[in-house]
Amino acid sequence: MMTTPTETVIEVAGLTKRYRDTVAVDDVSFAIEKDRIYGLLGRNGAGKTTVMSILTAQNFATSGDVRVFGQHPYENAKVLRRMCFVRESQRYPDDALPSHAFATARLFFPRWNQELADRLVADFQLPMRKRIKKLSRGQLSAVGVIIGIASRAEITFFDEPYLGLDAVARQIFYDRLLEDYTEAPRTVILSSHLIDEVANLIERVLVIDRGRILMNEETDAVRDRAANIVGETAAVEAFVRGREVIHRESLGHVSSVTVLGALTDDDRREVAASGLDIAPVSLQQLIVRTTQHANGEHPSTQEGALR
Amino acid sequence: MNRTLNVIRMQLVNRQTFVWMPLIILGGSFALSMLVYAMIPVDAPKYGGAAQAPLWYLLAVGIQALTMTFPFSQAMSVTRREFYLGTLLTSGLAAVLLAAIYMIGGLVEQATTGWGLNGYYFYLPWVWQAGAFGAGFFYAVMAMLLFIVGFWAATIYKRFGGTVLTIVLVSLGFLLVGLLWLAIRADMWDEIWTWVATAGVVGTTAWSLVLAAVLAGIAFLTLRRTVP
Amino acid sequence: MIEEGRALFLQIAESVEDAIVDGSLTEESQAPSTNELASFYRINPATAAKGIAMLVDKGVLYKRRGIGMFVAPGARATLLAERRSAFADRYVQPLLAEARKLGLGPEELAQLVRERASAPVAASASEGRA
Repeated sequence: MMTTPTETVIEVAGLTKRYRDTVAVDDVSFAIEKDRIYGLLGRNGAGKTTVMSILTAQNFATSGDVRVFGQHPYENAKVLRRMCFVRESQRYPDDALPSHAFATARLFFPRWNQELADRLVADFQLPMRKRIKKLSRGQLSAVGVIIGIASRAEITFFDEPYLGLDAVARQIFYDRLLEDYTEAPRTVILSSHLIDEVANLIERVLVIDRGRILMNEETDAVRDRAANIVGETAAVEAFVRGREVIHRESLGHVSSVTVLGALTDDDRREVAASGLDIAPVSLQQLIVRTTQHANGEHPSTQEGALR
Repeated sequence: MNRTLNVIRMQLVNRQTFVWMPLIILGGSFALSMLVYAMIPVDAPKYGGAAQAPLWYLLAVGIQALTMTFPFSQAMSVTRREFYLGTLLTSGLAAVLLAAIYMIGGLVEQATTGWGLNGYYFYLPWVWQAGAFGAGFFYAVMAMLLFIVGFWAATIYKRFGGTVLTIVLVSLGFLLVGLLWLAIRADMWDEIWTWVATAGVVGTTAWSLVLAAVLAGIAFLTLRRTVP
Repeated sequence: MIEEGRALFLQIAESVEDAIVDGSLTEESQAPSTNELASFYRINPATAAKGIAMLVDKGVLYKRRGIGMFVAPGARATLLAERRSAFADRYVQPLLAEARKLGLGPEELAQLVRERASAPVAASASEGRA
């Protein structure tokens, strides 16, 4: 198997962020490798933005160690200028036009590509003469996305960048990001709760829930980790006995149960023989259900609809 | 150093704040003063405090330099040190520019005997006792001092919140009152006025500069752990 | 085109193999590049690269330095053999299971297969694949 040498660009060890009465980040440790696209996935308030803020020295850890390019990022211009983090509700100077924001970005990001920025402005149909504070939510997101992509920073963070963007604009973002990543590789950390949309872009998934890392793996390794066994309830229950179940739904006599663990060929024969079906589990379903299961939550079974 | 200079350009994106408003306030307060002077039928030299207005506005500029631009500077991966120095330089430029306008204005006023109305806006005898450059020094330092106070207050608010800011301001108020009380008790007023008179505008300004430098240092320390 | 619940790089490898098996990608011809595949399927290029690498390891593709990946001679034959043995598991097994549900035994099933194989293609209203 062809293996590319891996270089770690970010190392986080025991990172904790405590506010007066909450723990936003709880003893988090992970490493980010160079030139890969990571998905930082989790619900709102799970701690994604806090982690990214601390990595870029915009916020401060209560305890733990953070190293970027082997150094502490705090007040470290040499390290910071190689990173770009435009947050989800980024504030811009009052009088600023998008053109000002990009002109300023050009001053501070050494790898800024103006041609790319211009192309993206056209793609997103961004009004350049309108003040940023008067832009719609989607247009505001577009400004952040354009800065993020055109900065070509060695480590680029996207903090829920698609808020306010419609489906077409979101697809444009994913396409342009992939294109430019292919053209000029860099480390990308993309936080999102629209997991299925970004599933094919991200090489690794980093799932964070209530400040803790629940999963840190190759996307492909996770993709086939679960399966939905669908069919007559008794037969389904018989099959899943002894297996790790993370989700159950039923409508009348029919059940759909999500089990963890890849199915072997023998398993498949048994399923077919029992008159059951195997339905695939999307990455989003897998992560959502694993998270719920880890929290001991049970989704309401009153809906009845099988998904 | 380059990035620090680029912060100046970042701040000047807010042309309204740094350029237009001060000029409008300057122009407006000047015009108002002249109108009032024209209406007063007294022939003796007339002085007013309207020239303070643009200076006090720099307090607002200091506040906005933080609130409007600091979060953006963080998104631009600028360190707090680069942002602070660049912002201070920007305000320094504004202060020097303002002082230059005041100096020229004062010289013109002296030459035209108060615009022919014997009414003075820029020229105030105490401020000009050491000449044009003394006056320029005074106005520049006052502008910087007010800017730094505004900036620091906004930084405290951003980092600690409104309650802490209020406590700080109230405490400073108490401190001032306390000093006044001490002065009265120790019957030191005569000495204080003599000292001010001896120091003159240059001496007082020099001490204000020291105060500004100290506040600038404290403001930076406050900024160092502020989250955008 | 991309299925849920299955590793992406496997699906990429499979799509290239499909093209080889059905003849649209002939031996010694150039296979689509990693970037082409990534762009077409809108996936991470590293994933596409993993799929291609797997095919190289398997001997289905080989690398010509400075040019790209090419289909190895004998690749089609290898893949056909592999798929034939997998055919029984993937298609025959589900077919038998479905037939059992409908009460069709192996003999009746064989009869149906023979009938359909000889019938003109246009006449039969074919059901979707199981």
